[in-house]
Amino acid sequence: MYITEAHPSDVWQMQSNIRDSVVFASPHTEEERALIAGACVSKLGIKPAAVLDQFGNATEKAYTAWPDRLYLIDATGRVAYKSRPGPFGFNAGELGDALKQVVAH
Amino acid sequence: MIYFTSKGWAGEGIAGNGLGRLFRLLIPGSFILIITTLLAYGRTVMKKVLLRIVALLAILWLCACGAIYAAMRQPPEAFAHVMARIPGPVAFLAFPFETLWMRARAGDLKQGDLAPDFTLTRVDKSSSIQLSALTAKQRPVVLIFGSYT
Repeated sequence: MYITEAHPSDVWQMQSNIRDSVVFASPHTEEERALIAGACVSKLGIKPAAVLDQFGNATEKAYTAWPDRLYLIDATGRVAYKSRPGPFGFNAGELGDALKQVVAH
Repeated sequence: MIYFTSKGWAGEGIAGNGLGRLFRLLIPGSFILIITTLLAYGRTVMKKVLLRIVALLAILWLCACGAIYAAMRQPPEAFAHVMARIPGPVAFLAFPFETLWMRARAGDLKQGDLAPDFTLTRVDKSSSIQLSALTAKQRPVVLIFGSYT
């Protein structure tokens, strides 16, 4: 799920983004955000379904997801795994372990 | 547990490098050594002055931690504006940034809670996806939140 930019160039530019040529200003419209999201999906080769959060960031707020976070929702619609706040807590290994447990049950 | 981290933010390169380790060990170590030496051998007046200076610095540091924590609780745009004004790696090296961040951004959702439903448009605008429609298929769903920058 594509949410608010973590380091837009007009607010909090990071040198690592400049080195990687990932420089985008804060989008001001849905279309601008969609363009950046599309570039991200394309450049990074993201295969799973990618959705765009609404401009008011309602979903990001509900999940306290910024700048990045992982969740696993089980078949009953309940939170089975919630990572610690990213980037420090963004741990694919933990998600994998949680997914194995959910699938096993 | 309160701890400092030398890990960078978004790959800024502070992660685990010599500068980070130096700050974590040398600066507080030197500070403690100087304070204890002066307290042990300094004159009474000097001790009083030193204690006041240390107390003042401690209060200022705590206030700064509080201000950073309050900023972390703000919407992303507001927090980013605050961080853009703090020079270089100061926030990460001089304050328990990661500890504060983990608490400020913990969020209210807990394991076992019903996941907030949403209906969002795909990035390619081909269709919409609703979370409850996915879970109705009796399969787990992984949500990966992020952005390009």
